[in-house]
Amino acid sequence: MNILTNAQLWASTLAMAVPLALPAIGGTFSERTGVVNIAMEGIMLMGAFFGVAFSYWTGSAWVGLLCGLIMGGLLSAVFAWAAIRLAADQVVLGMAINIFAAGLTAFLLDTIFGFGGTPPQTPQLPTLSIPVLSSIPFIGAFFTNQSVLVYVMLVIVVLSHWFLFHTRIGLRMRSVGENPLAADTAGLNVWRLRYAGVIIGGVLSALGGVYLSLGILNSFDVNMTNGRGYIALAAMIFGKWTPLGSFAASLLFGFATALGIALQNHGISANLLGMLPYLLTILALAGLVGRSKAPAADGIPYNPQR
Amino acid sequence: MRIQMVASAAAVLTFGALLTGCGTAANNDTNNAGNTTGAAPKSNFKVGLVTDTGGLNDHGFNFLSNQGLQQAVKQLGVQGAVVQSQSANDYVPNLQRFARQGYNVVIAVGFLMDDAVKQVAPQYPNTKFLIIDDPIQGIPNVTSAIFNTEQCGYLVGAMAGLLEKQGKLPGLNSKNMLGVVGGQAIPPVTSYIAGFQQGVAKTDPGATVEVKFANSFSDQALGSQIAQQEINDGADILFQVAGGTGVGVINAAKSKHVYAIGVDADQAYLAPDTILTSAVKGVDTSTFDVIKQAVNHQWKSGIQYFDLKNNGVGLGTVNPKVPQDVQKQVDQLAQQIKNGTITVSPNMK
Repeated sequence: MNILTNAQLWASTLAMAVPLALPAIGGTFSERTGVVNIAMEGIMLMGAFFGVAFSYWTGSAWVGLLCGLIMGGLLSAVFAWAAIRLAADQVVLGMAINIFAAGLTAFLLDTIFGFGGTPPQTPQLPTLSIPVLSSIPFIGAFFTNQSVLVYVMLVIVVLSHWFLFHTRIGLRMRSVGENPLAADTAGLNVWRLRYAGVIIGGVLSALGGVYLSLGILNSFDVNMTNGRGYIALAAMIFGKWTPLGSFAASLLFGFATALGIALQNHGISANLLGMLPYLLTILALAGLVGRSKAPAADGIPYNPQR
Repeated sequence: MRIQMVASAAAVLTFGALLTGCGTAANNDTNNAGNTTGAAPKSNFKVGLVTDTGGLNDHGFNFLSNQGLQQAVKQLGVQGAVVQSQSANDYVPNLQRFARQGYNVVIAVGFLMDDAVKQVAPQYPNTKFLIIDDPIQGIPNVTSAIFNTEQCGYLVGAMAGLLEKQGKLPGLNSKNMLGVVGGQAIPPVTSYIAGFQQGVAKTDPGATVEVKFANSFSDQALGSQIAQQEINDGADILFQVAGGTGVGVINAAKSKHVYAIGVDADQAYLAPDTILTSAVKGVDTSTFDVIKQAVNHQWKSGIQYFDLKNNGVGLGTVNPKVPQDVQKQVDQLAQQIKNGTITVSPNMK
C-alpha cells in the first residue's frame, strides 16, 4: 500500500497526464465549434519534431517551442480549410493528417539529422519547482522539478474552461457547434469561428507534442507520441467535451500509466499492466461515467448557401 | 508505404522553402531508403539490407547493421541498398525483390524475419542470406549472426556492482540498488538483463536489481517516467535495454544526476557525463565481416557466434570517472569469460 503514498507516483501521474490533457483540450475546442478532430496525433508529432529541430538550429528551446506551435497551427489550418471550406469528411481527413504527419516527420528526421537521431546537445525546456507549494508534504511532488509546460498546462486548463464557458466568444464558438444555422441567422460568422476553434485546438495539440520532445526530453523519435493523440480523443469524450473534464480524464489515464509502472515489481505481469490505460479507455467509452453527448452539429460541415 | 513516401516527398518540396529559410546547413550525408549508396562502386558485388519494422533510426541493430553495410561500401567497394519494412507483411517481398534483382548478399535484420528468410532463401539458391539475431540451420545459403549479449551484460553489471559497492562516484546514494529498464521481455533483451543480474551478483551480492519493462521500443516519455520511478526507489545506476525508449531513460538519469549504461551501440555520445559505459553488440562489425566473407569467397552457412572472444560483443567507451581498479577487475572478468572459467546464462532470474 505504500505505493499510493509514494510521491513519485503522483509526480508521474501529472507528468503523463500533460501530453493527454493538452491535445484533449485542443480537441474540445475544435469539436465544440462543430469540427470532429481526430488529427491530434499527427499535429502532436509535427509540434514535437519542429520543436526539437528549431531548438537545435536556434540554440533556444523557447524558439523551438514557438516554432513547434506554429507548425502545428499551420497543419491544423490546412485541416480546417479542407474540413470547413471544402466540407471534406472530417474523420477521413483527420486520419490522412495523422498518416501524413507520421510519414513527414520520420522522413525529415532521417534526411536532416540522419539515422543516429536528433543531436544530444539540443536545448531542453527548463524544469521548475514552485517555492511554497513544493514544500507541502503530499501535493508537493506535483510542484517539484516539473517541466515548465506542466504549469503552463495547469493555467491552460483553467483559462480554456473560463474562455469556453464564461466569455461571449466562448458562447459563440459553442453555438456554431450546436446550431450553426441559428448562429448564422444571428449574424455570427460560422466559418471564422470554426477556423478559430480548429486552429486553437491545433496549437494546444502541438504544445502536447512539444512537451514530449522538449519538455521531458530533448530529442525526437519516429512516432514518439505512441498513440497519445488517440487516447486524448478518449479523454475528451470521457471528459464530456469540457476542458476540466478532459483534464480529469487525462489525470486518470496518467495515473493508470504511473500505477502500471509502480506495480511491476509486485508480481503482476508487465504486459497486463501495460493494458491498464487502454482498459480504462474502453470503460470510459462504454459509458462508465454516464452518457457523454457530442455537440449537436459536431462533424457536419456548414454551407452558408450564399 | 509508397503513398506515405510520395506524400512526404511532396511535403518536403513545400516545406523546403521554410527549412532553407532557416539558413542552417543540415547534414545531408545520410542515405535514404531504396537509394544506392556511396561513391562510385568498384565492383558489381551487390548487397541489399532489409530492416525490420524498427527502421533505420531504431538506435539499435537496424542502425548498426546499416553502419556495417556502409563500411563495406567504403572499404570493399560493394554496392549497397537499403529498404525499410513498414510492416511484417513487407519482409517476404522485400527479401524477394533484392534476390530477384541479382543481389549477391541479402541481409535480414532481426529475429522477426525468421519465417520470411526460411521461405525466401530456398527459392533463390544463388543469393546468400544473412539473418541477425536468429538461429537458422540447414539451409546452405543462409548464415545466422548470434550475439552472446549476456556476456557484455555481465561485464556492465559487474562494473555497476563494483561502483555501487565502493559508492565513491559523486551522486551515488547509500541504497544498494540498481535499475534496469527493458523494452520488451523478448530474448534479445532479456539475455542482456540476465547477464547484468549475474554480473551484479558476482561483484555486489547484496544489491537489489529493480527490473521494469516499458513494453515499447519507441516511447521515450514512458522510458523517462519509468527511470524516474526507479531513481526514486533508490536506483542510482540504470541499465537500459530499450531501444528508443532508452533514450528517455538516459535523459532522466542525466537530469536526476545519477548514472546510466547504454546498450547495443556505444551511447556515450548521448550524455558523456552520465553514461558509465555501454554494453555493445557488434552488429556493425559482424555485418561487415559476413559481407567480407562473401566477397572473398569464404562464405560459411549456419550459425556464427559473436561473443567476447571474437569481439562480437563488448564494452563501449568507459567514463573517465570509473576508477582504474574497477576497470581492471572488469577486464579480468572478461578474460575469465573468454577462457571459459565463467559461463554466463542468457536466462533471466
